[in-house]
Amino acid sequence: MITRTAKIVNRFGLHARPSAMLVSTATKFSSEVFFTKDDLRVNGKSIMGVMMLAAEKGTELLVEVNGPDEEEAVVAIVRVIETGFGEKS
Amino acid sequence: MITRRKTVMGVAVSAGIVMGRAQVVLPGYTKVAEVPITTSRIKSEQRALDRAVEETVQEIEELRDSAAQRLGAQVASVFEAQLLIASDKSFLDEVKNRIGIFRRNAGFVYNSLVQETTHKLKHSVDPYMQAMGEEIEGVSNRVLSHLSGYRERSTVRFKGDRIMVGKSFTPGEVLSYRNRKAVGFLAGEGGANSHMALIARSLMTPMLIVDDIWSQVQNNCRIIVDGTDGRAIINPSDEEWSEYQRKKKRQGPALLTRIKKLTKIPPTTSDGRVINVSANLELPGPVDDILAAQKFPVGLYRTEFLYLNSDGFPDEDQQFEYYDRIASKYEDSYVVLRTFDLGSDKVRFDGDIGPRETNPALGWRGIRLMLEMTDIFKTQLRAILRASTRGNVRILLPMITELEELQKARRIVSQVKFSLRRAGIRFDEDIPVGIMVEVPSAALTAHRLALDADFVSIGTNDLTQYTMSADRGNSRVMSLYNSFHPSVLSLIQMTIVACQQAGTPLSICGEMAGDPLALPLFIGMGVSDLSMNPAKIFDSCRLISKIDFNLVKHLVGPVLSSHSSAGVMRKLQNYRNALEKK
Repeated sequence: MITRTAKIVNRFGLHARPSAMLVSTATKFSSEVFFTKDDLRVNGKSIMGVMMLAAEKGTELLVEVNGPDEEEAVVAIVRVIETGFGEKS
Repeated sequence: MITRRKTVMGVAVSAGIVMGRAQVVLPGYTKVAEVPITTSRIKSEQRALDRAVEETVQEIEELRDSAAQRLGAQVASVFEAQLLIASDKSFLDEVKNRIGIFRRNAGFVYNSLVQETTHKLKHSVDPYMQAMGEEIEGVSNRVLSHLSGYRERSTVRFKGDRIMVGKSFTPGEVLSYRNRKAVGFLAGEGGANSHMALIARSLMTPMLIVDDIWSQVQNNCRIIVDGTDGRAIINPSDEEWSEYQRKKKRQGPALLTRIKKLTKIPPTTSDGRVINVSANLELPGPVDDILAAQKFPVGLYRTEFLYLNSDGFPDEDQQFEYYDRIASKYEDSYVVLRTFDLGSDKVRFDGDIGPRETNPALGWRGIRLMLEMTDIFKTQLRAILRASTRGNVRILLPMITELEELQKARRIVSQVKFSLRRAGIRFDEDIPVGIMVEVPSAALTAHRLALDADFVSIGTNDLTQYTMSADRGNSRVMSLYNSFHPSVLSLIQMTIVACQQAGTPLSICGEMAGDPLALPLFIGMGVSDLSMNPAKIFDSCRLISKIDFNLVKHLVGPVLSSHSSAGVMRKLQNYRNALEKK
């Protein structure tokens, strides 16, 4: 299992479109993905879970990836978060 | 509940007359019955959930495809997140799991889990998070309606003409009701710039906003919506019904057909003065294609849609693609792109922006906002400039109040041009930069502004609001909001004269530009450029061909010396009656 922290940098935080992007990225891999904000831990392949985080700009997310392609998965997921989902920071 | 005849006044956000029976859509779907089930029914409840989800996904896919077809990929992308929400596997697994544990009906369990998920979002102070909560509820309501044995598939066409009555509608609802052949909309809240109004206009479906209307109208009662006068008649008498039927008939063939016939009526006055008639647009749509094919220019293309539809400000490339598509469509004419006209009540910013504005109309909006958020302004200008290589794009700045704003904005345009030049990116070096005159201070100093602007466009709606100090969305003061008041007309006249003296091209682009009473007056004042709602173009061109410029110029003096809006309108109506007798 690999864990990393990633910071939400885009201006509007994890709203609908970025949540959808994050879930689509996580779903590409066969590894399990979890995100934790404060004491809330959600399945990274569930948009409802990701939306429930209500993660605003500046939030530090804990990313946990566990499975055969965890190395690639964690890189891809952290990249999509830290590049601000292609939005303005 | 209105059971007798009643006329209500409201704000028409999409024009046209429609008649039909009310289909009342009650907001929310919060109460779902809790039914204990036996172990033997667990499986069938779980299957019912799967079925409801499947139907919902199919429904959203249909909406997405129809949006893509009618309004383009931009609008359709709204539905992608909804599809992910509807088919969220781990969420649905949890619901099924709980159905087994708690032995309750699928609807109840599903709804409880949705409430748990959205609770925090709905109570967030962040409008983006709130919106996300509403988005989830919108989808879950669809699933619940399929679950509740509500058998009527919601893609079924309505029988007869239906007018949808509700608190407010999402863009998806407007689209899906329209697909089901609803003829018009009555909403209890919302504004001319709301998403639903935007979509209604681009689908050319009448929509009227009347305070609290959804709680007053009985399902199935007869309604006439007059989205031209901003009036709705509930339970009209038989005489009224047939009167409106005649009125509708007189409107002539359907709007699209009328627009197709446009080239046959060149907008020239009876004594040979050519009037340039152009369209106000804000969304790509069917009208758009026809206008482009007829080589009609676009005198005002609003760009707020781009902001309202993406989460935040779209980036330069997204904007460029959008503007470039418009510019190439209108290759044979021209397009006036108005830069973002947003208020702080619509835009979300980082960090502390101080207290919420108590009076957004007089607050931080239009060019005021853009001049401070220069990165956003520059991004938009870069995108517009990149799309200007065909030489048919013009830039229009909204809400200019004083000269310094125009000068500042022009300096920013120069900076953007400089950086494009340095990067070797092509654009139209001579792109015209014009201003909206829509506040009294601009009209009163138009003689000076006109020297620094490449063109001037009078926005009659805001000019009326600011001159009369009355919000037309507020039913208490709505009667004060009258564009025919002599004060408003004097400001318009002043601006026209200032532009004539400065040699600056002028057009009128508010709602008044397409008003049959105002049109002869404007032509008499010497205006030769009018930009209007596409729905008004056909009738306006026909009217213009009957007007004698040398006659209407004598209308101006007496009209301006009237003491009241009523006096003005009486004189203009007399002229119109005389014209119709001819």
